[in-house]
Amino acid sequence: MTEELMLSGCLRNNATAQEALYNRFSPRMLGVCYRFAKNREDAEDMLQEGFIKVFSQMHQYRNEGALEGWIRRIVVHTCINILKKNKKFSDSIDITNAHSIHIREEMIPSIMQAKQVVECIRSLPLGYKTVLNLYAIEGYSHKEIAFMLDIEESTSRSQYTRAKSMLEEILIRKKIIQKPKKKTNFFGAV
Amino acid sequence: MENEFYTDEFEQLLKEKADQFSMYPSKRVWHSIYNNLHPSRRWPSVVISLFFISSLILIGYLNTGENSITRQINSNSNISTSFVSEKASPEKISRKPEVVTYSKTTQQPELQYNNAFADVITNETDFYAYTVVKSNMPVYLSATTASTDIKTIPETLETINNPGDIVQTVNTYIRSNQIFADIAVINKKNKTTIAKSSVNSNTENMIVSNNTDPVKSPAADEANTLLNPAGNQTNTGLAKLNAPKENADAPGNEDKRAVTNEEKAWMENYAFQNKPVAKKWKGRLGYQVYVTPAVNYRKLTTKVKGSATPFAQGDINHSISQKPGFGFEAGVGLNYAVAKRLLVKAGVQFNYTNYNIAADRATHPITTTILLNDPATGYSYSSARTSTTSNTFNAAPARPVTLHNRTYQVSLPVGFGYKLSSQDNVEWFAGATLQPSYYFGGKAHLISTDLKSYVSDPSSISSWNLNVGIETYMNFKLGTYNFQVGPQVRYQVNSTYKRDVALIEKPYAIGLKFGLTKGF
Repeated sequence: MTEELMLSGCLRNNATAQEALYNRFSPRMLGVCYRFAKNREDAEDMLQEGFIKVFSQMHQYRNEGALEGWIRRIVVHTCINILKKNKKFSDSIDITNAHSIHIREEMIPSIMQAKQVVECIRSLPLGYKTVLNLYAIEGYSHKEIAFMLDIEESTSRSQYTRAKSMLEEILIRKKIIQKPKKKTNFFGAV
Repeated sequence: MENEFYTDEFEQLLKEKADQFSMYPSKRVWHSIYNNLHPSRRWPSVVISLFFISSLILIGYLNTGENSITRQINSNSNISTSFVSEKASPEKISRKPEVVTYSKTTQQPELQYNNAFADVITNETDFYAYTVVKSNMPVYLSATTASTDIKTIPETLETINNPGDIVQTVNTYIRSNQIFADIAVINKKNKTTIAKSSVNSNTENMIVSNNTDPVKSPAADEANTLLNPAGNQTNTGLAKLNAPKENADAPGNEDKRAVTNEEKAWMENYAFQNKPVAKKWKGRLGYQVYVTPAVNYRKLTTKVKGSATPFAQGDINHSISQKPGFGFEAGVGLNYAVAKRLLVKAGVQFNYTNYNIAADRATHPITTTILLNDPATGYSYSSARTSTTSNTFNAAPARPVTLHNRTYQVSLPVGFGYKLSSQDNVEWFAGATLQPSYYFGGKAHLISTDLKSYVSDPSSISSWNLNVGIETYMNFKLGTYNFQVGPQVRYQVNSTYKRDVALIEKPYAIGLKFGLTKGF
């Protein structure tokens, strides 16, 4: 089924078209939800709520960008809204003692191949991974993130810096990436 | 993976890998979406649920062979209507401000509001009609009593606030990081004097009532820095809140009464730092009261050794005329959610079981025997008894009488519930309980060895037994309460009678459970 047919069918509340659209985009969208969620079950709940919004707001889609991008934005906002309902989230997003968090070896998932980067992201503290997901992967600006999460822009920046640093450490320890070589000049390290 | 690694490449790597990542959701997700989008065409899971519950009822019916109970079982089938739910909006309902009006009276205001009314009421007989608006929405209070400065509930105040009334903050509290307030509208004659005096008390009420100085709290300072990187804004806001308000009351200074951003930031910070410590068990623990009207059945067998009696020939259930009876269970218990879908439960329960036997009243007592087993050898023997009722099986009774085999029990059910599915405010559970039970009373009518008479012998009832309950139910979330309804089967593991009785009776009950649960 073409995208146009799916869209027109969804606008008519046609179940077949809705299922076709769902089947096409749900695997990738579940991947998005999974990066924000605590576990697969929570991710599926987020996906479910996200797609209900997608179908109920389909008439607002203006064909001005990729359909996947439009769906993705709705799903991401749904994830954030669900996270914000969780009390633990509000506690973790304003972490002031982030420097005291240490990643222990057993906290890092021992997995191989495609999932490894995503699982390492998921092993970050909740506040860190949320900001990192939004900034580095979803492409939101710190200003937008601050608005979405009800935090200061500076908080978003510092969360991201710490998240990135922690993730680098994890990826290096898992040997997924290697330490960057220090730049040197004639007299030694810069 | 790349050996050379730079920051921008790192972000690129993250994005690439994350975008490549996808997972296939379970079918449950699409079914839930489908049901939500097409409520008139529910997914077959509802049909399966109905089938499951109907099967339970049917099994109970088939096990009795008594057509007389058909109507009773059919009456239970109306639970199927509970599967269709309307999308409720409890949030909207709960967020309406609660308005309580106290008419002009000589009674004192409620104790909790006494301090707030101290400025208004000058002597003990000087009480006035007042209205308390208990806001269920967060408010930002200004340092004045002008009704126009009270945010979020202007509609309500407009309807009750007449010119000249005094609007007074009487109670403030913090919930979910937000400030809530109860506002009193007091009908007072001398509006000018009172309005001025209530200005200061308003601010004091809001801040000093907690007897804490948030500025001195190190945690608060830390959060101030976080929320206000400039560092000097919070203290300024607090200072303004605590400062005398005479300037604000001066003519032409009304604009200064509005909440400033600094005050708002301080309040947010204060609420953030003073939020109640979350108790882990809170929200997971709930108490339940329930009652289960049930139809009681029983299965009779015999345990005979070394004795050729009618007991040993064929199914004894076909040699007596028996009918199911009505019983019930009622109890209270605690439910604790150990996981998102799993809860464990324990409680105390009262059970009443009843089973009917059709008999014929004898004109005079007759001698008969009941079959007992020797505890030492296991061999059966007949024990002499007297009887006043006879078995009417295959014979028309001259003086019909119904004998009731009853038990009164106290149980301590321990079990679990598992959430099979949920949608909006409706959840479907299945569960089971083990119920150690103490039988503290009842009646027992035992069939005689020759199957011709009944012998009444309450002492033959065993004091302790074990029951198993299996249930499935729908849970409806109704505000702060949860209402449960669903079929339940309760089965007694051991015989009702003591070990030396050769008759083995194992009753079971099929009922409809109604429960009400509330969280702590």
